[in-house]
Amino acid sequence: MMMANPDLLESPETELSEQLDTPWLVIVHNDPVNLMSYVAMVFQRVFGWARERSEQHMMEVHTKGRSVVWSGGREQAELYVQQLHGFLLLATLERSPR
Amino acid sequence: MTFKVSRSGNPSFTGIHPLLADILRCAVEDPWERCPEGSLRLLPSPGSDEELCGDWEDHVKPGLRLQFETSRDVVAGDLQKLRQSQSKNASWSLEIPKDHRDEWLSTLNAIRIALAAEHGFGEGELSRDGIPDLSTERGIALMRVNFYAFVQECLIRSMDDGDPVSEKNDQAN
Repeated sequence: MMMANPDLLESPETELSEQLDTPWLVIVHNDPVNLMSYVAMVFQRVFGWARERSEQHMMEVHTKGRSVVWSGGREQAELYVQQLHGFLLLATLERSPR
Repeated sequence: MTFKVSRSGNPSFTGIHPLLADILRCAVEDPWERCPEGSLRLLPSPGSDEELCGDWEDHVKPGLRLQFETSRDVVAGDLQKLRQSQSKNASWSLEIPKDHRDEWLSTLNAIRIALAAEHGFGEGELSRDGIPDLSTERGIALMRVNFYAFVQECLIRSMDDGDPVSEKNDQAN
């Protein structure tokens, strides 16, 4: 009879649970071509933000090279990145570091 | 060249110099043909996850490319309505339907990205004031990128306002 190995049983479940809990980040990267006003407008459109918040993130992209614009579930993150690519913004998604 | 928003809310350009009218017509040039290397920037990867990138390649990129091509068709249709005045300077005018602004922004962005990729324009060069060297192909490309940026700015400002009767007199010389 095989004995259940607690390590083998628990480890994958824990890992899966951690993967499901870890939020995904949507990141917009700086690029020299997109206009600042355009980037701010896209943020307003995609995320429904007020102008001030959109401009803050746009400035963060411009000065720091990137801005985390959203975090949450993977499916929604993918949808946002797809929308941002539709506006020709350089956007990626990555798992949030724990 | 003067920009204003018409009473019906449509962005409108008048007094377009014939040379600028020609440059405007070139906005619908296929950016993928213009600079195939730029396609990585036009349709970038969503990250480093291999599985995700594979799915993106198969399911997302084709749809986005179709979306860009549809936008380009809309802009090409609008450009057919460029009208030349009978005045001595034979300038051109163009009224863009307000519902087509997104297609214009997308198309202008795509060709700007392709031109920038083709000529390796960086942030410094793109934001530098002054007239580029128009005796070179690179200088002409830079002028195109800047001129399309001016048109984009006008369109964005017309969206900001939402006031159909306000008039703006942005000038491009």
